[in-house]
Amino acid sequence: MLPEIVLLFSAFMVFLGGILLISTKNLMHSCIFLLMCLFGVAGVYASLGAEFLAVTQIIVYIGGIVILMLFAVMLTGGKEFISRLHKVLNLAPLMGDKSTYMKGSIVGLIIFGGLSAFFYQLLKVLPLKEQQVSDYKIIGHSLLTDNLLAFELSSFLLLGALIGAAIIAKPEKVSESKPTDI
Amino acid sequence: MSANETVIDHLLQFEFFQKISTAIGSQIGVSHIWVWYMVALILVAAVITGILAAVGGFGTYAERKISADIQGRFGPNRVGPYGLFQVIADGLKMIGKEDISPNESDKFLFYLAPFLCIFGVVATFAVLPFSAGLTLSKTNVGIYYVVAISSLVGLGIFIAGYASNSKWSLLGGMRGASQIISYEIPVTLSIMSILLLSGGLSFEDILANQTAWPAGWYIFHNPFTFIGFFVYFVSVLAETNRAPFDLPEAESELVSGYHTEYTGMRYGLFALAEYMEVFVVCGLAATLFLGGYHVPFDIGKGTIFGDILQIGTFFAKTLGLYYVVIWVRWTFPRLRVDHLMSICWKYLTPIALFNLLGVSVWILFFDGKSILDLFLSAISSGPVGH
Repeated sequence: MLPEIVLLFSAFMVFLGGILLISTKNLMHSCIFLLMCLFGVAGVYASLGAEFLAVTQIIVYIGGIVILMLFAVMLTGGKEFISRLHKVLNLAPLMGDKSTYMKGSIVGLIIFGGLSAFFYQLLKVLPLKEQQVSDYKIIGHSLLTDNLLAFELSSFLLLGALIGAAIIAKPEKVSESKPTDI
Repeated sequence: MSANETVIDHLLQFEFFQKISTAIGSQIGVSHIWVWYMVALILVAAVITGILAAVGGFGTYAERKISADIQGRFGPNRVGPYGLFQVIADGLKMIGKEDISPNESDKFLFYLAPFLCIFGVVATFAVLPFSAGLTLSKTNVGIYYVVAISSLVGLGIFIAGYASNSKWSLLGGMRGASQIISYEIPVTLSIMSILLLSGGLSFEDILANQTAWPAGWYIFHNPFTFIGFFVYFVSVLAETNRAPFDLPEAESELVSGYHTEYTGMRYGLFALAEYMEVFVVCGLAATLFLGGYHVPFDIGKGTIFGDILQIGTFFAKTLGLYYVVIWVRWTFPRLRVDHLMSICWKYLTPIALFNLLGVSVWILFFDGKSILDLFLSAISSGPVGH
């Protein structure tokens, strides 16, 4: 019974966080509501018995992505930038138009319907009872045996991203070197 | 029920607890066991949080007493015997203070930030192994969960710095976020080298291979874990913003850093979160490297008495490390910002990576045996060669 309560509470958190996320106009607040939403998703995973996935969700999305987003928002500039952004958004065709909202909601409904039909079929097939074995050992084993190629390829991708980030962030060559202050 | 075993499952083994639970259940007519289960879980969690909040509060007292001792002063000695009630006086003062928020601040984030900090710390108590019985949840991803959930503290510091709309706070918050994110890497790498030895992410797995005696602790398992302990300890000092790494709240440059604009109990929550986080990381160090709650000869194993002994062992080790943390603060001067970053990225991270590799090679070559095992087997089989 406890997992069901946690599941309902987490689902409510996802729903409320999602609604607040798109309805607020403040980007920083949006990030915080995104945090709430993602935390709810982690709660859903945990209540379904996938603890490793839940904690990975927290470590990747809350410890990484949300902090990265907050940094990115802070580095984008002040009020002038935002007003300029609004001007551009208003100029762009079909932004904030009535027909845009119509088309957007129709596409959203189709995607939602299709996905829910798919997951409904999936839920009927999959047994939802949790396994008693610790799931992270299975994940680790399959990563290093059956899915080794995919694992290595993604590690190459990440290495490339790391080197690329280092090259982009490399300071221009200047004559006098000053200590950086953060 | 999920596969998780909680503290209530442990308590239900004892007869008097069963009696109490059935008595209360029949009194209020609760037929569902899970309602009582949840209430009991919440009660135990509240008690643990209360006790650790008191530990955090007395941390401030300990800090002032120990610093006074180091500097040849008396420290707080007016309120109560030995100034012990200074904590209560401070708390009352903070609650009584006016709650001020800056005019142009982002009110929502400003009020949220201290709670993010305190939540990130209190949530780690859920898996902290005080004793074999008193562990709120024995989830099989314990240490991974602690590493993940404590990142909320850094987020809280960052949000506090941003929302205050003050230059000092913003600088402190930026420093705090970059420092905490950077120092998470050596901390996690040192923890990973221990996880290689234990072969599991839960605290039970980590403690299963350790013994009560120092020879069986992971810190003395091989040379790499010995170095790893110091890498871990230095890095957590930085991660909890303790001196000599307290750049986010450097008084001499930034007034008070990220909590400059906070008054009263909102400031108190930041201070409390910091002291409790120090306790948590010291507890983790005791569990990962120093044998955790193991009591010599397993005295009273499986009884309430044994649990109390184990809690005492855990607290003794943790508070010993807590003393070292305070001692370090009043001994070393604060680092410069760029030195802080170069220590993390140029020294601690490579050393931690080397340790990880070293532990893996050790496991491969010596079959996961500790240095003492190898020594003993060398002695016993030594004369054969001659």
